[in-house]
Amino acid sequence: MAVIVEAVELKKTYMLGKVPVEALRGVNLKVEEGEFLSILGPSGSGKSTLLNLIGALDKPTGGKLYIEGVDTATLSDGQLADLRRKIGFVFQFFNLIPRLTALQNVELPMAIAGLSGIERRKRAEELLETVGLGDRKNHKPSELSGGQQQRVAIARALANNPRFLLMDEPTGNIDSKSAHEIIQLVKRLNIEQKVTVIMVTHDQKLAMEAVRTLHMLDGYIVKETLN
Amino acid sequence: MRLSDIFFYALGAIKLRKLRAGLTMLGVIIGIAAMVALLSITQGLQAAITSQLQRGLATDTLVVSAGGGFGGGNSRFSLLVNDTNIIDSIQNVTVSLAVIQRVGYIKCGEQAIRITIVGINFAAYKEIYSSTFMAEDGEIPVNPEDDVIVIGKRVNLPWNNETAFCRTGDHVEILWTNTTARPLKNETYTGRVVAVLREVGGFSIGGPSDSSVYIPLERAITFFGTDKCEMIIVKLKDDNKATIDGVSKAIKKAFGGEAAVTSSTALLNVLSDVFATVELFLAGIAAISLLVAGIGIMNIMIVSTMERIREIGILKALGMRSRTVLLIFLSEAIIIGILGAIIGVGAGYVLAQVAVRIFGGDMSFAGQGAAVRGAIIITPVLTPNVIIGAVVFGLLVSVVFGLYPAWKASKLRPVEALRYE
Ligand SMILES: Nc1ncnc2c1ncn2[C@@H]1O[C@H](COP(=O)(O)OP(=O)(O)O)[C@@H](O)[C@H]1O
Ligand SMILES: [Mg+2]
Repeated sequence: MAVIVEAVELKKTYMLGKVPVEALRGVNLKVEEGEFLSILGPSGSGKSTLLNLIGALDKPTGGKLYIEGVDTATLSDGQLADLRRKIGFVFQFFNLIPRLTALQNVELPMAIAGLSGIERRKRAEELLETVGLGDRKNHKPSELSGGQQQRVAIARALANNPRFLLMDEPTGNIDSKSAHEIIQLVKRLNIEQKVTVIMVTHDQKLAMEAVRTLHMLDGYIVKETLN
Repeated sequence: MRLSDIFFYALGAIKLRKLRAGLTMLGVIIGIAAMVALLSITQGLQAAITSQLQRGLATDTLVVSAGGGFGGGNSRFSLLVNDTNIIDSIQNVTVSLAVIQRVGYIKCGEQAIRITIVGINFAAYKEIYSSTFMAEDGEIPVNPEDDVIVIGKRVNLPWNNETAFCRTGDHVEILWTNTTARPLKNETYTGRVVAVLREVGGFSIGGPSDSSVYIPLERAITFFGTDKCEMIIVKLKDDNKATIDGVSKAIKKAFGGEAAVTSSTALLNVLSDVFATVELFLAGIAAISLLVAGIGIMNIMIVSTMERIREIGILKALGMRSRTVLLIFLSEAIIIGILGAIIGVGAGYVLAQVAVRIFGGDMSFAGQGAAVRGAIIITPVLTPNVIIGAVVFGLLVSVVFGLYPAWKASKLRPVEALRYE
């Protein structure tokens, strides 16, 4: 299988004023197409930092990151923006646009990619159907439960047929029943639609739902397990 | 992202904060409305005055008066009725005509109204003002008998309705008070109305006016007991600048520099210069209010970007380019600016109409000697230039002041924007 994400000695150091904070101290990893990978580690171990780098939301301060074989350091800001269209991001706090309906939120990445209104509406409806929210498409985020909002976020992340799905504590802010439904949905997407998933969590049980787990501590990957 | 989608996204953001956007827009509306109102009133005024001047006094005429022109008159020099002989002998002069005038009353039956009594040579006056010294009713005699009177339209119908004060054929009395005699003496001239002039409108220099009555010059001399005249109107061969300047100079020279010569062409030029300055000045004032409106736009846009940092982070995480973020925020400013400008143009025009109704209508100008008298009606003029100018200006203000906040928004780094609470 093709390697879709590869990190080599990836480093990220934040500057807190004049104090350097080493969030990633040299991460090496490979993610293959079609995988369901989880990254497990305690709070502050650098999981979100790593995910943001893979999602091209931030730039590393050392090492190399290849996405589909392309060294991301060589990309301009505009090219990075274009790359993000091929990556589906799901956040802990959903990050939906409050004034847009569920349908409009799902349409948004497609609008950004330049699809016509008709094309994106049709696909957004299909996606909301897939995540089980076909009957809630005209609801605003504030009219939806946390679990429902996260499902809208997943539908949105899938809108542009991304190369992979990045999830940062996707169930961190929702009740356990909804969390279970979300994870079943993600597993189904991975198996049925061959969506590559990289999921970050501090929850051991949740991490075990993935096929492979990378264990993180203090900015390093310290262990790898197959579940 | 498609431009239409950018536009609708921006519109959606504005709709969310209607009151705030409305208040920001109000700033633009007021600025543009002030500009449009001021410009359309001055342009209307200019058009009215220019057309009246062109109508009231043919461009190929000069008005000679005794010293100082407007407001002057300390000089002991006076123009005499016979001075027309001197002027007639100047090259390029077709004909000249002396005007004696006094303010007085006309009495018809029991009623009397205030008018200007003008003594002129009917034939010469008719030659110079062929289009305005024309009878609507009756006939203006070329060799008038002693007691004839020609009246202006407002003397015929002074009350803005169908009720006539006096008409052709009426026997009337004209009264004036001789203030130089001691004791003061009221003089009366009894005569017969032979013609009513067509409505002239507006005001003129020397030309026929709606609120005057006309009597033959010889009768005026005896009636007023003077051979001094207020002005001499000179008709030229043509209205070339060279002719006007040459004759003006020659007349001044003939009277040893004591006489004032006014040319309507020169007056028109001076007027249009004055109007250009006034317009610029007023537009400048309005522009300042637009500047304030622009700062309002900037203020609101900065607040808006601060509030929407997280939204910007989301948009960028979804793959939106910085340029598109900039366009979205700029569109918001532009929508407010353009909409404000369009409403402002309408409001400005309405404002101009209302202002003209309240303050305008009868604007009277009075002067001595070469008197400018009468009333002008101002119709606000809204030229396409003003409309386009106002909208472009609104656009410009919104772009200039919206650019900085939009640029700031576009420069936000996605991770930081997403972390923002
Ligand atoms: N923008 C930032 N500026 C400074 N320090 C940061 C920033 N983001 C993260 N960190 C620090 O980097 C470390 C890793 O953070 P993070 O990747 O969010 O961990 P996790 O997601 O595993 O909880 C933490 O010590 C955190 O305080
Ligand atoms: Mg985290």
